[in-house]
Amino acid sequence: MSKIIAEAAIRGAYACMNRAEAMLSEAIHRHGRAKSIAFPDTAYALPVILALVGKRVEKLGDLEEALQVARTWLPAPPTEKLWLPYLGGTLDAGAATLVAHEAVEAMKPRLAFDFWLGPTPDSILREQGIKLVDGRMPGFAACVGAAPSDEVAEQLARDLQERNILVFMGGNTGGETMAAQLNRRGVEMNWETFLVPYGPDTSSIVHALGFACRAAFTFGGLRPGGIKETREILLYNKRRVMAFVLALGEVDDEKYATAAGAINFGFPVIADTDIPEILPSGICTYEHVVANVAHRDMPSRAVEVRGVKIRTVEIPIPVRHGPAFEGERVRKEDVAVEFGGKYTRCFEYLTSRPMDRLQDGLIRVVGPEIADVPEGARLPLAIFVEVAGRKMQPEFESILERHIHSFLSEPMGVMHLGQRDSVWLRISKKARDAGFRIEHLGTVLLHKLRNDFPAIVDKVQVTLFTGSDDVEKLYPEAAAAYQHRDERMGALTDESVDIFYSCALCQSYAPNHVCIITPERLGLCGAYNWLDGKAAYEMNPHGGNLPVKKVEVVDPVLGQWKGINDFIQNASNGAFLKFSAYSMINDPMTSCGCFECIACILPGTGGIMIVDREFSGQTPVGMTFSSLAEMTGGGQQTPGFIGIGTLYILSKKFISADGGLARLVWTTTRVKQKLGDKLRQRCEEIGQPELYGKIADETICTELEPLIEHLAAVEHPALALGEMI
Amino acid sequence: MSLELKPKRWAGAIREVTLGSGSRRPVTVGGGNGLPLHTFEASFPHRPVFALEITDVAPPRWIDTVRQPWNGVLGQPAAAARRAVDEFGADLVMLHLMGTHPDRGNRSPDDAAADVRAVLESVRVPLIVKGPGAGPKQNDVLARVAEECQGEGLVLHSACQEEYKTLAAVAVAYGHVLVAESPIDMNIAKQLNILLSDASMDLRHTLIDPLTGGLGYGLEYTYSVMERIRLAALGGDAMLSSPMICLVGEEAWKAKEVKVSGGVHWEVATALTLIEAGAEVLVLRHPEALARLRKQVDCWFGGETCR
Repeated sequence: MSKIIAEAAIRGAYACMNRAEAMLSEAIHRHGRAKSIAFPDTAYALPVILALVGKRVEKLGDLEEALQVARTWLPAPPTEKLWLPYLGGTLDAGAATLVAHEAVEAMKPRLAFDFWLGPTPDSILREQGIKLVDGRMPGFAACVGAAPSDEVAEQLARDLQERNILVFMGGNTGGETMAAQLNRRGVEMNWETFLVPYGPDTSSIVHALGFACRAAFTFGGLRPGGIKETREILLYNKRRVMAFVLALGEVDDEKYATAAGAINFGFPVIADTDIPEILPSGICTYEHVVANVAHRDMPSRAVEVRGVKIRTVEIPIPVRHGPAFEGERVRKEDVAVEFGGKYTRCFEYLTSRPMDRLQDGLIRVVGPEIADVPEGARLPLAIFVEVAGRKMQPEFESILERHIHSFLSEPMGVMHLGQRDSVWLRISKKARDAGFRIEHLGTVLLHKLRNDFPAIVDKVQVTLFTGSDDVEKLYPEAAAAYQHRDERMGALTDESVDIFYSCALCQSYAPNHVCIITPERLGLCGAYNWLDGKAAYEMNPHGGNLPVKKVEVVDPVLGQWKGINDFIQNASNGAFLKFSAYSMINDPMTSCGCFECIACILPGTGGIMIVDREFSGQTPVGMTFSSLAEMTGGGQQTPGFIGIGTLYILSKKFISADGGLARLVWTTTRVKQKLGDKLRQRCEEIGQPELYGKIADETICTELEPLIEHLAAVEHPALALGEMI
Repeated sequence: MSLELKPKRWAGAIREVTLGSGSRRPVTVGGGNGLPLHTFEASFPHRPVFALEITDVAPPRWIDTVRQPWNGVLGQPAAAARRAVDEFGADLVMLHLMGTHPDRGNRSPDDAAADVRAVLESVRVPLIVKGPGAGPKQNDVLARVAEECQGEGLVLHSACQEEYKTLAAVAVAYGHVLVAESPIDMNIAKQLNILLSDASMDLRHTLIDPLTGGLGYGLEYTYSVMERIRLAALGGDAMLSSPMICLVGEEAWKAKEVKVSGGVHWEVATALTLIEAGAEVLVLRHPEALARLRKQVDCWFGGETCR
């Protein structure tokens, strides 16, 4: 922590404490210790003192005791010689300051004057506080001081209102207050407008923290008490009450002290002046003090620093939208404008940027808009999406990009097919007539990305290039990114990571089943690869995908790790002791029922067959897919039978403990088509380029006898490998 | 040679949850430490309890068979509640605030609070309050009701994965029990309980509604999910050891078959199956079903010979 801040805060804390004590001794002298003291209409006495000291103050005598406790928190002021540690002492000084502030506020004569609202009664707390806790109100801003001008004050208030953020105002800068500035601008200030002026003294902002403490008491069910209870209350605020302090104008010692108090609650400080910053996280989720922020940027910077998530309820586009319109076709004669297909270059490219490089919500169409071109025109299009987020990782880019398809399929009258640079997009005449423009594609992406991925996406910027030159200019970058991602995915091996992901989404009907997803073995449903698991966990740590540490290797050939086995025992409710990632014979992974394909051994061939879910006919093992599914699914460990995602066949780890791809003697034409060249390539990689041609399918035979004959005729390598069991 | 049964001992038990407080005569459910009805090897301090469903407005879709016992009091919650308790012997009453639904009358949160207050004044049993269905209106209605009836230990039905924060906050703030509803999905049931405890909810004040499929309409699905939840709870999974509530009447009386004949049989058959799967709070519509189920449950738990 900055020494300058620490010194100032501790000095300020002493000043505040001295003032409170002086006021108190005068009050006691005049009225006696038995004199009652309270804020109006609250069951929480002096709430900040109740939360921090654990004492219910009802009389001046109680207040005296509370102040005595708080004074013991004041650290010795830092000296020239003493450099460390500051953080703990400064935070304690901050807490003591809040106690002193609340004491002052309680003793001050309460005058109803001007626009100041003073302390908040419980009834309003119940009505408004719940919105903070359940997320309808994203957070509150405690504004201390005054803006440089009335106009700036109003703009700031409007920007916060627009985000549904509750605004508390208190304190002054050289006698000027933000509330007075708003008042002169004719801005209405009350609980309905979410603009709440507490008072002109710095101490009055303690009411905002009192509000936060009472929310924790009321909706968090927390009780005051000792240090443990206080910690709970502060943690509750950090986790649930998304508040922050906006320091406007010069920050004096007392304001530093007050800010230190707020940091105890996890509420960071955003200042418009050039004060020392405290950037590393610790008490707050991210930074503690961020300085020198332009007024225009204060709300968005504060939202980012505090980690406030703002959701859009309704996406502002002129047509209806929703999953119901996915898969909707726009026919040739209904097209207003179309992109891609086989006519023009059309691609989508999502990339991540540093937080400060993006202007959140900026949507631009560079090139002709829908109204600028004749009906049925074919334009090139580059959908360029830039995102930024505290928890965004480059690895998530492809996951988010893959969602562009479903997002752009949702508006009525928009058809979207394909992905990356094979996109085909049409906008219907009806949609255009309803007012839908190319720009709205960006609107949809902006809101869907922010709403559906709040944990990883904080800022989105979309540029839609519709001019040929721009599209061609951006394309090499996108193409390089696609290639880079593919290479990265290719390079991602089971050995290169320490963590695999579990998937227990299917335990509802396959009680003891759990998938272990490794970089080289995707989930058997084909829907979740390792990166998806990672992203899913990042987005929802209570969901079905959990990180599992490999710990030490038990068997590198079978693919067994201690951490995985321990996890399996627990997650399978004790039904299984170990899983092999690379074997279908020894302790194979269980299968739920969602497998894309079933792989099973074919006795007499030395090999295996793979049948896909769509294949309804007989197979050489003498069973159809559905009879096989019964043996394989339901979370049983059946040696010789596993459910797999189709792409697992291409993995270097495909049943590598059992002989690998060379064991494959029969599969369906659909699987062959789906894997196509990539399967040929894998065959080459294992040094058997002719293998692809030797793998039989249903056009060759569907019974075992002819299959064995076929294998012998083509000299399939599996025959030489010997029986698997 | 006599057969000696070796009792199965489990690591976990079902959590005890007390419904109703303040001016209510509280009812406690849960506490069992074995599979449902395995009275020969496990102990069950509380029997399954029965609630009857009453509505704030006359229910348009109830068929005659199930309206008949309620003649004269349909849509009059206070009078209906009295009949449910005094005449029909319900352990609890569930007030379904169907009239607050935006498409079915759109009655206000204040109207709803007044109805709940009236029922509280007419009977002393604990009250389950069911909102119009997940969404902003349900939150407004149940939040208002919760505040109005602070400390009465109402059972608020229900929070779901998408909408739980508001109801968790009011349940904590005003001392009520919250039903966590999951769509026949054990993972979501567990996840929701994790989320609720994360939102400061004490799980001693929650029930699980696994979502009931009526006989012939997915009952077996519900059965196996409940069985799974119960096994996990007994295995020691604290996030799944809340007692379960099933809205039996609502599902059973939806079936096409009840219009032809035997609606009461349908409700009884559905409820019996759910009791076997571990349901401990059953919300019924027909008093005859309640009487027959009560007799059966008394037989099972009372140790008398049943016929």
